[in-house]
Amino acid sequence: MNKKIVIPGQFISNNVKNAGSGTYIDDGKVYSLLYGILNDKKRINVLPFSGKYIPSRNDLVIGTVIVVTPSNWIFELGSAYDGLLHVSEFPRRVDSAQMRGIMNVGDSVIIRIKDVNTAMKVELTMRERGLRAINYGRIITIMPTKVPRLIGHSGSMITMLQKETNCEIFVGQNGRVWINGKDNDMDRLGKAIDIISRNSNVSGLTEMVFKFFRNENDVDTVVSTSAEDADDTQANDTEEKVPEDTSRKIDMLLDPEDE
Amino acid sequence: MSKPEKFFDENGLRLDGRRVDEIRPMKIEVGVLSRADGSCYLEWGNNKVLAGVFGPRELHPRRMQRPDTAIVRYRYNMAAFSVEDRIRPGPNRRSTEISKVSREAFEPVVLTHLYPSAVIDVFAEVLQADAGTRTAAINAAAIALADAGIPMKGLVSACAVGKVDGKLVLDLGKDEDNYGDADLPVAMTQDGDVTLIQMDGNFTQDEFKEAMELVKVGCKQILEIQREALKGKFSQSETEEIENEAVIEAPAPEVEKAENEKVVETEDDEMVEVETEDDETVEVETEDDETVEVETEDDETVEVETEDDETVEVETEDDETVEVETYDEEVVETEIIETEEDNENVGNVVMEDDENDKEPDENIDEDIGKGETNE
Amino acid sequence: MSEVMSKLKKDYIYNLMLKGQREDGRAFDEIRDITLETHVIDKAEGSAKVQYGATQLLVGVKVQLGTPFPDSPDVGVIITSLELNPIASPTFESGPPRENAIEMARVTDRGIRESGAIDLKKLCITKGEEVWMVFIDVHVLNDDGNILNAASLGAIAALMTAIVPAERNGKGEDFMMPVREMPVCISVVDIGGELMVDPGRNEETVCETRISITSNQDGSICAMQKSGEGALSEEQVLQAVTIACKKAEKVREEHLLKI
Repeated sequence: MNKKIVIPGQFISNNVKNAGSGTYIDDGKVYSLLYGILNDKKRINVLPFSGKYIPSRNDLVIGTVIVVTPSNWIFELGSAYDGLLHVSEFPRRVDSAQMRGIMNVGDSVIIRIKDVNTAMKVELTMRERGLRAINYGRIITIMPTKVPRLIGHSGSMITMLQKETNCEIFVGQNGRVWINGKDNDMDRLGKAIDIISRNSNVSGLTEMVFKFFRNENDVDTVVSTSAEDADDTQANDTEEKVPEDTSRKIDMLLDPEDE
Repeated sequence: MSKPEKFFDENGLRLDGRRVDEIRPMKIEVGVLSRADGSCYLEWGNNKVLAGVFGPRELHPRRMQRPDTAIVRYRYNMAAFSVEDRIRPGPNRRSTEISKVSREAFEPVVLTHLYPSAVIDVFAEVLQADAGTRTAAINAAAIALADAGIPMKGLVSACAVGKVDGKLVLDLGKDEDNYGDADLPVAMTQDGDVTLIQMDGNFTQDEFKEAMELVKVGCKQILEIQREALKGKFSQSETEEIENEAVIEAPAPEVEKAENEKVVETEDDEMVEVETEDDETVEVETEDDETVEVETEDDETVEVETEDDETVEVETEDDETVEVETYDEEVVETEIIETEEDNENVGNVVMEDDENDKEPDENIDEDIGKGETNE
Repeated sequence: MSEVMSKLKKDYIYNLMLKGQREDGRAFDEIRDITLETHVIDKAEGSAKVQYGATQLLVGVKVQLGTPFPDSPDVGVIITSLELNPIASPTFESGPPRENAIEMARVTDRGIRESGAIDLKKLCITKGEEVWMVFIDVHVLNDDGNILNAASLGAIAALMTAIVPAERNGKGEDFMMPVREMPVCISVVDIGGELMVDPGRNEETVCETRISITSNQDGSICAMQKSGEGALSEEQVLQAVTIACKKAEKVREEHLLKI
């Protein structure tokens, strides 16, 4: 089934009580505020096709260091607002002189948004397990509005991606996705994420991506070695062993030994 | 070029065969630039304009920032080769004035207060000019803003009306513009509120009233064209989808599982994230004597104490992401990420009667652009 | 405004290139898909729209009456400008052209001028008094890397379709712009000692050194520019010339000869 596309100013409903995000109420009627897809299963929400990330308290994001001051790292977050990581929010004591040695301009970091004030001053923290600089794997950028589709219902999409590619995946709320695995697996995962990103407005996306992997595997089998077949079996095993597979493999990140 | 001998033929049709109340053909393409956050290419008669939107993004210099709202910048710019006689690249007095009033045409509809301190940049490039470039640029910019995901109360549509040989005509052509007696470009919201109006020439008050009626009709037509352009943007992928659905025989097993109730087992130092569906129950099994803290959307805190191997049920209200974080002997925090918003946060976009400051709590459930999607 | 590219992304692109691979799957000597359309702006005497991958720009040629320079009283005048419009990239700012834009305009200009592409003598109306002035304006719309090569292709294509508006100016009959050569500029960047053509936006960020060579139909060279922080070995320069001439020939055949 196609999703209904709405545009700013479009009348949606008379049911003011159910007005949700991406909508506004005028004269007892609900209108769309955004260009996107209407989701009125319960609340009336409009999910925009595009849009910049707006930092929000407690979000986990991937930032890039752009400035190092004597007591702060300043991060670019793919947003209109940069984030500030005070040296005291780093998990251990750091002297000013050491700061660049720990995280320097250009470094990517999985980080939590500690607080955002009304003027959109964004404070960050790394005082939590799992939050750290990442210096291997790849970062793929998607539209932040597509993050929910990438995670999927109950993490179904991300679970499938992990199983199909054996990659670690971390999805930052700001649309930056960190992936890590074998090079060709990361290539495949990159393609799958691209499909999700480009088709986020259609229903049956999980099936579409599932099919992408199946077709790809078919092609593989023609030229494939037995080693790759073995990989497949292994993937199926994992599926059974870890039914509670999680949507974000943060646990993998929790242990720096994994490096 | 010189002034035409007459502007209407024996049937009352104009130089280009249009009726007096007919606009020139308009062609629109959405999302044509990969680097802009939103973009639109628009041809209107012989006008060719391109609009690109960037932002909201950081505003430099800092002294221009406004702590309570984003500012909109609008740059109307003509390519050197867009007119008969080459013009020097860069701003001039005319383009500076047009940029100003065009920006002000959008300020009433763009929800700038959602992006404190930031800037939304609108660039309108006139590639070929043929009368009515400012209105063409505004029509394109409205679509580019929507394409960029900028929240707006509605699109803005613009059109000019003028007087030629004593007759009112909609959407002036080049000769009508050059040799006419009056030109009245107008931009309107969907409710007919005027957000830009300029005029030069001469109208009687009665003519002006009639002109406003005529231009309203023009703007309505353009609004329809703009809407169709935006709705058509994804028609291609819709086709793809149908093809795909036709060949899929069995859904992936993962999908079926997604519909089931979720039971999440947590281990020491593990962090799991669960997404829930409407009215779904999430069970969080905890291993030790732990406290489960559940934050709900009304900023209300519910505390549940659990015992060994007890199952905690957390009921969530909407499509929300629940993040469960457990540490050994520590507090288990269940945060509904999507919902945990400060009242002061920019996430609330619901307004009553155009009042921006009313923020009913029940609506603060999702940040803009972060809604969960139902399949 | 400048963009900080994450080190992870930089490393990814760099390491790919060290393996002889590129982000978009191209070979090192492969140019992105080029689309060239002419007669796109009726108001200009000649025009071309160029797409080099996702890079997009318009070139308009305007021809007007003017006076010759005192030191060359019997030839027409060419004036080339290039605007890096802020619509083309989040890093471009409004304002007068900066050094990058000026450099690209001048390199484009040199290719046209030094190849003798336009028979400027034919643009003289009255020696020392009146000549045709040819304005080549490059309007950059979307920067996805290698604007220079796209600009140079657009400039010659727009000239090839340009008509000198003599009639309108009371100077006899209109005539085609006297074009007698088809210079094509090809840029080559250095990556770990290897040479690569047509750098995309990310590749431009990673590769510091670039050499741009404009060549003619007979394989002779008419303009050259080394830019960027690094240095090139003599061998690399010679090799770059060979590559650029070969690629230029292909671009000329596939696009310019069809006009």
